[in-house]
Amino acid sequence: MAGKIRTKQDKDDVIAYSEIAVRNNSAVVEYCRISMAALSGGTAGVLGLTGLYGFGFYVLATISLWMMILIKAGGEWNKYFVSRRSLLTSGFFSGLFTYVLFWTFLYGMVHVY
Amino acid sequence: MAAKAIHKIVTFLGFLSLLHAAFSAVQHRSYLRITEQEFTTLPIDIIIQGVASLFAVMYGVMHIAGDFKEIRAVVDLENKSWETFRNLPSFQIFNHRGKALSPEYMVEEADRRR
Repeated sequence: MAGKIRTKQDKDDVIAYSEIAVRNNSAVVEYCRISMAALSGGTAGVLGLTGLYGFGFYVLATISLWMMILIKAGGEWNKYFVSRRSLLTSGFFSGLFTYVLFWTFLYGMVHVY
Repeated sequence: MAAKAIHKIVTFLGFLSLLHAAFSAVQHRSYLRITEQEFTTLPIDIIIQGVASLFAVMYGVMHIAGDFKEIRAVVDLENKSWETFRNLPSFQIFNHRGKALSPEYMVEEADRRR
């Protein structure tokens, strides 16, 4: 019954989003992404990854953070986010720069000196 | 379900474990340097510890960051009654002449002179 109503709403009406809630959610996700980029960069540096392995590790960390966010949302992501794909792709490259910064720093600290 | 103590503890322990993995890696490198072996890869236990502590810290940080809110605008309005919309702060009256009808009303000296 409830599902039926929701699909009808999706087709006919425009759903009004609460802007405060959207902004709150994206702020939470952004916080998580930045911390994830810094931490996974540090881990990649500690593990001594070089070259494409490091970038592969970043992609892996991004995807796992995405899955963790979806798990935290409790399986009903469209209650909290407008789009699931933009949750994965937004801020990918800005996170990559943070990642490379911490990666090179920790690699130098652990493996070079 | 804001940031509980257990999430902060998980984050802290994850950081400690990551630091410990880093020190283990440093020791492994210096051991290789002393014994003049070639570095290929870290021992598997350091790798596992590093990745596991990364996931622990990610989990803790994700819960510290805060909770998600429902984005549908209807959700906020569902909790409010219809009477809420009649409540206009600009039109609230706190002081009017009706208080003179009260039995406890005392005419003050300043009012009498006026």
